[in-house]
Amino acid sequence: MAPVLDAKIPAGRLQDKWDNYKNSIKLVNPANKRKHTILVVGTGLAGGSAAATLAELGYNVKAFTILDSARRAHSIAAQGGINAAKNYPNDGDTIWRLFYDTIKGGDYRSREANVYRLAQVSNNIIDQCVAQGVPFAREYGGLLANRSFGGAQVERTFYARGQTGQQLLLGAYAAMSRQVAKGKIQMHTRSEMLDLVVIDGRARGIITRNLVTGEIERHLGDAVLLCTGGYGNVYYLSTNAKNCNVTAAWRAYRRGAYFGNPCFTQIHPTCIPVSGEYQSKLTLMSESLRNDGRVWVPKQPGDSRRPTEIPEEERDYFLERRYPSFGNLVPRDVASRNSKYVCDEGRGVGETQLAVYLDFADSIQRLGRNVIEERYGNLFEMYERITGENPYQVPMRIYPAVHYTMGGLWVDYELQSTIPGLFVLGEANFSDHGGNRLGASALMQGLADGYFVIPYSLGHYIAGSRIEAASTAHDAFEAAESEARGRIQKLLTIKGNRTVTEFHRDLGRIMWDNVGMSRTADGLRIAVDEIAALRDQFWQDVFVPGEPTTYNKNLEFAGRVADFLELGELMARDALIREESCGGHFREEFQSEDGEALRNDKDFTFVSAWQHNPDDIRKPTMHKEPLAFENVELTTRSYK
Amino acid sequence: MLTKLYHSPVGKKVVTGITGIALTLFVLVHMTGNLAFFADETGEAYNRYSHFLTHQLGLLFYAIEIVLLLIFLLHLSIGVNIWLGKRRARPRPYDTYRTAGGPSRQTVSSRSMVLTGVIVLAFTVWHLVSFKYGTYYDSPPYDGVGVIRDIALLVRERFATPLYGIGYPAVMLLLAVHLRHGVWSAFQSLGAVRPAATPAVYGAGTLVGIAIGIGFLVLPLAIFFQFV
Amino acid sequence: MAHSMRINLKIWRQAGPDAPGRFETYAVEEANPHMSFLELLDVLNEQLIKEGKEPVEFDHDCREGICGSCGLVVNGVAHGPQKRTAVCQLHMRHYGDGDTIVVEPWRATAFPLIRDLVVDRSAFDRIMAAGGYVSVSTGNAPDANAVLISKVDAELAMDYASCIGCGASVAACPNASASLFTAAKVAQFAHLPQGHPERRRRVRSMVETMEAEGFGDCSNHAECEAVCPKGISISAIATMRREYMKAVLSGSD
Repeated sequence: MAPVLDAKIPAGRLQDKWDNYKNSIKLVNPANKRKHTILVVGTGLAGGSAAATLAELGYNVKAFTILDSARRAHSIAAQGGINAAKNYPNDGDTIWRLFYDTIKGGDYRSREANVYRLAQVSNNIIDQCVAQGVPFAREYGGLLANRSFGGAQVERTFYARGQTGQQLLLGAYAAMSRQVAKGKIQMHTRSEMLDLVVIDGRARGIITRNLVTGEIERHLGDAVLLCTGGYGNVYYLSTNAKNCNVTAAWRAYRRGAYFGNPCFTQIHPTCIPVSGEYQSKLTLMSESLRNDGRVWVPKQPGDSRRPTEIPEEERDYFLERRYPSFGNLVPRDVASRNSKYVCDEGRGVGETQLAVYLDFADSIQRLGRNVIEERYGNLFEMYERITGENPYQVPMRIYPAVHYTMGGLWVDYELQSTIPGLFVLGEANFSDHGGNRLGASALMQGLADGYFVIPYSLGHYIAGSRIEAASTAHDAFEAAESEARGRIQKLLTIKGNRTVTEFHRDLGRIMWDNVGMSRTADGLRIAVDEIAALRDQFWQDVFVPGEPTTYNKNLEFAGRVADFLELGELMARDALIREESCGGHFREEFQSEDGEALRNDKDFTFVSAWQHNPDDIRKPTMHKEPLAFENVELTTRSYK
Repeated sequence: MLTKLYHSPVGKKVVTGITGIALTLFVLVHMTGNLAFFADETGEAYNRYSHFLTHQLGLLFYAIEIVLLLIFLLHLSIGVNIWLGKRRARPRPYDTYRTAGGPSRQTVSSRSMVLTGVIVLAFTVWHLVSFKYGTYYDSPPYDGVGVIRDIALLVRERFATPLYGIGYPAVMLLLAVHLRHGVWSAFQSLGAVRPAATPAVYGAGTLVGIAIGIGFLVLPLAIFFQFV
Repeated sequence: MAHSMRINLKIWRQAGPDAPGRFETYAVEEANPHMSFLELLDVLNEQLIKEGKEPVEFDHDCREGICGSCGLVVNGVAHGPQKRTAVCQLHMRHYGDGDTIVVEPWRATAFPLIRDLVVDRSAFDRIMAAGGYVSVSTGNAPDANAVLISKVDAELAMDYASCIGCGASVAACPNASASLFTAAKVAQFAHLPQGHPERRRRVRSMVETMEAEGFGDCSNHAECEAVCPKGISISAIATMRREYMKAVLSGSD
């Protein structure tokens, strides 16, 4: 089984690999590109940039989004910024440093060659976006502004207020719109991919459902690009949009694509806490808040006094206490985990006691309200809009929330999955962030994949493969469509007693409790079994109202929850075999005496790539892609 | 190009704005002319002013009349066109609808532009019938021009009747309501308003509307209540 | 816990584009003041499903005011009473026990209704395809700092670029005009040098498409600015008009 996972990393020095690759690939004759149809599923940063770029090159592109417009993909919600190694501020940044920070930030669980390429093309992304008219922040002299983000030691983050993701996405959307007008992109909105069609071992098509009319459609192409984002909604509550789901990726997994590092999830410490059972999603606030806010809880468990009534000596500034040198600025995973611990001790605050204070009183006293307002005015406003509390007067309440999934479909250097012709881009793949993603690098990866990597590797695939003529009448289409129809029919005919949301919420609870910020072998085993049991119950007792032939949100969600119920189990299995603490994955058994994460480089410097077992979904096969570090030395993160 | 302008959503507004400003200037001049009534007690100044317009400007007077008529028709037809378009753009109205306030300039004035406009138009026709084509009185002989039309006498006679005495001020109030939104809107339609200047232009528009309304009200009220 | 309250909802129900619509009245007994408006609808829908009734369909996605998916006319105001807030971030603490809230979809010919409170806003995508872009293919870009843009212009462009395409401006406009949406994009590019080479063609084409899609004409009510979750100023519309006049008067592309 060993050669199955060939990452196809090009030869040569790290710095030369991408150039060597580009120099060696086969090219598609310009006149021939229009003979090829590429199916792009998802229109966020990765899908949008890929669809536009491939159409510009001459391919016929069919783009699919479950939303009513390509412009609404969840990339739009990214606030902070996008990294690039431009070194405009002259503060010593280089491609190497961006590479190094990213690979170290990922806790040495990503590929050197991929990450280096990411850093290399980062600069082109900024150029491209500026040319599209993305209004990045600027200095008075008219040059681009940069800021430091996520604890980076250099100012390499480009931003457009707190709406960087929106502006980058609208840039890609505009580029797509131009190709739509030219007829090179055929846009399918409100269209959900229900299955992947594999013919002669190659990804050749997809089955979609028109979410307005319920029609099931077949689409044939020469290659399929999945750009369908992350699967954080497996936790029910996350900062992801309500429609974010794993279905496209999961259907591909079930057709033979391997799933890489499914247990690697990122939990963001500064979110607005849950206020009740009805809570439908969580809202992230920029982590820049921790620059001036102090995190604390009462020393006494169950202290129900108002925060302003708790005297200084009865407060526990637990991050400052445990991490004197980094204090409130420890990385996301460390901050999140410690907040969980103090809440587990019964010292959480607010109605639900699942929150900690983020207090600006000292900063306001030191710097004045005006300075704080200038820095965080928008965030304070948003906080007040949602909670009804004025953070200038009472401390904010925050709690960690699932934010990003580093895991995803396994891809090689060319972004190709284990199914030839199936490429996976952006958050949907596992590739560049290892065990933990740094701030301002998700946007970078999505656009790098779409604008600058896939145009090369897809061309190489098209030029170098014998893709036989096929039609949507092929047996594989027939079979996939009938399976998709069967599933829908099944979901609608169970007519059980519990709603889709109830099942989703239950799944979320199991995941959050056992496959969340802090994991144990026992908890994970429980999760594996409980999820399987819940899945069985779902298929016997779910109630999905309405018809298959109309707009039917519950039906859409039912299909997605069904897939989450399978994914959740795989995540728990993956977390169970990874007997180390690494990045966002913290196993309580593997920690140092003072409670810090203990990585096990000797046994776990690999990517786990899971293969679906068609005979028994509960017995997937795990393959290992060993990670070789030839250019960087593996060090331990310490924030004491 | 002109037909394109007339039919395009932006062109329509620009033409409405230009014609609206022209009509506003016209009523301003008209109002100022009316004030000549107060220059003396005999109405001589008023009659001389009228005579000047109708007999001493020559062809220019007819040219102005024709241009004014065209402007009026253009302004009106686009206004009605926009109003009809709005029915097409939303055939089913909201069950509950209200303005969000704040920066909104939606008022009774902005919602009733077509209504106030059409009433003012109807009035204008009546007004022309009453005066331009009304009874011809001879004035006493004046120095230089001799006997001319005594339009002041006709004005005095008309405004003394309740129908005109009340109807005219009422229509002038509607004109003020029309201009309250219209003046500001014209500048916005021409793309002439910067964000910072919006409140100022809006305020100025309101003032102009009120000023014109009051300016027109003075004469009929003064006559009706026999101040002059 | 925050006290719960009873909220009465009068909601527009319509099975499909051609089906007759009507208002239905529902009550949510245990509404929580901390809930968002969409969470109130979630609770209502769970209740309806349990009662064997069809849930109310409405568009939503990010629920943090940036994707532009949600859009409801709440008691006569697009996105409800809170300024600069999409309805997903409107919270129930603005309402009291026993309140009745009327919920309607965006109503406009150019936004055909799909089901209940869901409408088809693809006309916006077609306006964008008519010119809402800079024609620069991937790889063509000069260095990002090669062209200087004053901070003032960049900030103004960003003000306009922050449009989320939700359609509230159309919904609230007494004429159902899409002027603010179209103008926001025109104005963004009018303030950036990258937008200048195509400015004339862009504004003509976008304005023409806007009209062809069946939106009404702008009457300067400025209601659009009042309901815009991003507070985009109608100065965008003034800019669009200037751009358009220049384009038409110059006669050339």
